Amino acid sequence: MRRRALLLVGPALLVPRLLAGAAIAAEPAPPGLAALLRRFAAIPRSEARFSESKAIPELDLPLPSQGTLSWQAPDRLEKRTASPIEEVLRVAGDRLVYERPDRGIRQEFNLDDQPEMRALVEAIRGTLAGDLAALQRHYEIGFDTLPEEGWRMTLTPRSLRVRAAVQRILVSGRGPQVLQVETEGNGGVSRMQVTPGP
Amino acid sequence: MTDGTEAAGTGGRRAAARLLLVLALLAGLGAGLGLGIGLRTDLTGFLPAGRSPAAAFLLDELRRGTATTLLLAGIEGAPEAELARLSRETAAGLRASGRFALVGDGTTTLSDSERDLLFRYRYLLSPETRPAAFTAEALRAKLQALLDGLRSAASPLLARFGFADPTGAFLGLAREFLADARPETRDGAWFARGAEPPRALLLARIAGAGGMDAAAQGAAIAAFRAAFAAAHPGPARLLLSGPGVFASEAAVAIRGDVELISLASGLLLAGFLWWRFRSLWLLGLVAVPLGAATIAGFAVAALASGGPPHGISFGFGMTMLGVAVDYPLLLLGLRRPGEALGATARRIWPVLRLAAASAALGLAAMLGSGLPGLVQLGLFAGSGLLVAAAVTRWGLPHLLPTGLRIEARPLPGWIAAGLAGLRGRPRLAAGAIGLAALLLAALGGPSWQRDIAALSPVPAAAQALDAELRRQIGAPDVRVLIALGPGTEEAVLRASERLEAALRPLLGPGGALDGLDLPSRWLPSAATQHARAASLPAPGAAEAALREAMRGLPFRAQAFDPFLAGLAESRDLPVLTAARLGAEAPVLAARLSPLLSGEGNAVRGIGLAQGVRDPAALARAVAGLGDPQILLVDIKAETEGLLAAYARATLLWALAGGGAVLLLLGLGLGGARPALRVAAPIGGALLVTLAALAVLGKGLTLFQLASLLLLAGLAIDYALFLARPGGQAAPDAAARDAPSSGAVLNCAVATLLTFGMLSFCETPVLRGIGVTVSVGVASAFLLALAMAPARMSGRADG
Repeated sequence: MRRRALLLVGPALLVPRLLAGAAIAAEPAPPGLAALLRRFAAIPRSEARFSESKAIPELDLPLPSQGTLSWQAPDRLEKRTASPIEEVLRVAGDRLVYERPDRGIRQEFNLDDQPEMRALVEAIRGTLAGDLAALQRHYEIGFDTLPEEGWRMTLTPRSLRVRAAVQRILVSGRGPQVLQVETEGNGGVSRMQVTPGP
Repeated sequence: MTDGTEAAGTGGRRAAARLLLVLALLAGLGAGLGLGIGLRTDLTGFLPAGRSPAAAFLLDELRRGTATTLLLAGIEGAPEAELARLSRETAAGLRASGRFALVGDGTTTLSDSERDLLFRYRYLLSPETRPAAFTAEALRAKLQALLDGLRSAASPLLARFGFADPTGAFLGLAREFLADARPETRDGAWFARGAEPPRALLLARIAGAGGMDAAAQGAAIAAFRAAFAAAHPGPARLLLSGPGVFASEAAVAIRGDVELISLASGLLLAGFLWWRFRSLWLLGLVAVPLGAATIAGFAVAALASGGPPHGISFGFGMTMLGVAVDYPLLLLGLRRPGEALGATARRIWPVLRLAAASAALGLAAMLGSGLPGLVQLGLFAGSGLLVAAAVTRWGLPHLLPTGLRIEARPLPGWIAAGLAGLRGRPRLAAGAIGLAALLLAALGGPSWQRDIAALSPVPAAAQALDAELRRQIGAPDVRVLIALGPGTEEAVLRASERLEAALRPLLGPGGALDGLDLPSRWLPSAATQHARAASLPAPGAAEAALREAMRGLPFRAQAFDPFLAGLAESRDLPVLTAARLGAEAPVLAARLSPLLSGEGNAVRGIGLAQGVRDPAALARAVAGLGDPQILLVDIKAETEGLLAAYARATLLWALAGGGAVLLLLGLGLGGARPALRVAAPIGGALLVTLAALAVLGKGLTLFQLASLLLLAGLAIDYALFLARPGGQAAPDAAARDAPSSGAVLNCAVATLLTFGMLSFCETPVLRGIGVTVSVGVASAFLLALAMAPARMSGRADG
């Protein structure tokens, strides 16, 4: 039965090689965003714990998972899930490595082939790197400041085909720290709470 | 200077004008023929029609098959990221050009409508569709797998497709259709696995250019190069290969070779003749029979083949006609002091006639080979030689002003002494021939070249590049083909399914073969589609099974409604046909089209077997089917068989030709003894050449066999004129004194110069011929000289 799942995961990652990227018009950044991203850019590495909850409309209950996130400037991001299944997603540049140590599985993909992953990865990576241009290349950006250094970014994928799978990503935090990432797609919401520190 | 133009006065001037007029006429006629008829440079003109069904299928496939529309490309010579960019932009350019039915690179993607079609037909196309897949138990396993997948990183995708397709039929199909690429994908480009330096790979299928439509293929190749150039490649290089490239670029190589040979050998020959004679008259006179022979040979070959002769036949035939230079050289060289040229022509005519007739008869063996290229070659050279001899006999005496003598300058002393010393030493010749025979026997006799590549006009480097790209891209290396049909599309698809069922047990790492690509892999037969639709559960049963499968799992009650709707829709779908696939799903059709072609009742299919380890087991399995619609074609065995058959035919004809030549010599010389004496150096030269080829490790090809025939023709000249220079039926002392060895040496060097040039050709066929004839001519001359009757004195002559 678990084997079956794997058979699904492999092709699922391979299938929709959708078009990424569209013509980008240079646009002014919302006030405050540039300053915030400069603060992010000053932090070359960070680690955090996450707990995620995926709500899928066809399921009665949300699917929880937790693990750690680590970031290393300029472009390395690792999401290590500890439970309920051990799973590692590692991104460096445009290469995506998917590992499932319990089954000795290691697959490499190009982010260009995985627009769903690209949408998610660039949101987090662009924020942690403080790379406004990269964020603007992939998303239309809404930015709100909240009290006590709080903020919220609303990212809408620019590519129509990516938007068919991921409609919106909300990234929020306080100061140069991401505290929550919310992904909306296909009527479901995946909410990731991030706790800074190792 | 022995040029007598001034000395000949007005008569000379008139004669010069006449010669120029004749040359101009010949040039005009030649240009008219060349421009009006032209040359074929495609490869198919060289291939024979098959005799067995398997051979006929194979050759038909080589000529017109969709395999010929494949283009393979590599890009290298730049950093990886730059190569990836070049690959992506070149691929985009190719797609935009509209000349390609399929462009394969790292970004191969299904369009939305194509994906929708595949999704709608998932249960009719998927081999997983069978009643057992829709029981509550089977479905429960699938649902648990889906749940597991939803927890993983792939959840966004599974959430999109999984509820309408929990059995994964669509994702399995998509994996089949898209992800069977063997190269690695990096940066949206294919890269050769483990290649250092890195090499990006592209694959394209030319649209509509069925077979070797050289013009369409040339245009597509030009479009490919243009797309690459438009991507600003900088230092990066494009390597392009495939049958289309061979067809059009081999054509360029052949033409280049032909031009190179004609030009270089012409210049060398002219230079040599100038050095020997210092006479413009001689150059002009030599050109007349050569030009006439070329035109006659070209016309005969064009008439016989009903169209333009092949470039290779022409190139090789031209060099064969270099022999025609011998005739005027002999005529002038054997002229006695004070003799009118017409008288000389009359005197040597019996020998000249015998020499030309024997050479043409030897070449006639090529007519029996059955290989179109060789037949043309035999016609071209044979008819050309006869015309050259006739022009020498009846034409040349009228072109030289009376009283003008053209004489060769004395040979340098050491050459003359060497020639004189060699003359009349039959024991030395016998020793050399014996040594060659021993050497040949020690090496196990002449070996036959069984590899069809050696017969191909495609340069060896291009063949190696093609094999390498094919391996890196994972394009089928077509060693074994399985022919399906002919019949209706449905009949061919059903035959394909029968074959698949029979070969499935042989597939896999431990089996007889690694992979199998069949038309039914991309499009099941209508019967199978109907059967799959019928095996889907009825709505009520499906719902009941699903409800039971979902028990205890956290899915909402309505979660799988799209799945139930899909099952119901699939039961009534009209079957998918090749035509509909072509209209609505170009990427999928591109996968199918190379394997299925034709219309109506004449549809043919091809099965491609990859990584065949046990051909015998494969052949047994196919034979075990006993199916008249399924035919295994082992390309290697089949081509080897074809080549062997042609070689046998050519050899038989060559033997028959040799016998006929001996008979002719016997008749012409009035007895068996003189005939054998003339034939001895010829046979000896053949032996020495075979021994030299064996030492060089070169196998004999058909073309080398043909060159041996040519060699025999040349050797006849040398042996006849060295043994019977006077041309009389009976030898006499005066005739022996005639300055024959110098004249024959001139001929031999002239031939060596032209054939030596062939050894520098890119085209393997032409190069092989060059080596064979060069070695042969040298040994034929030396042997004929050594076996010639001894001379009274070693006088240096011209």
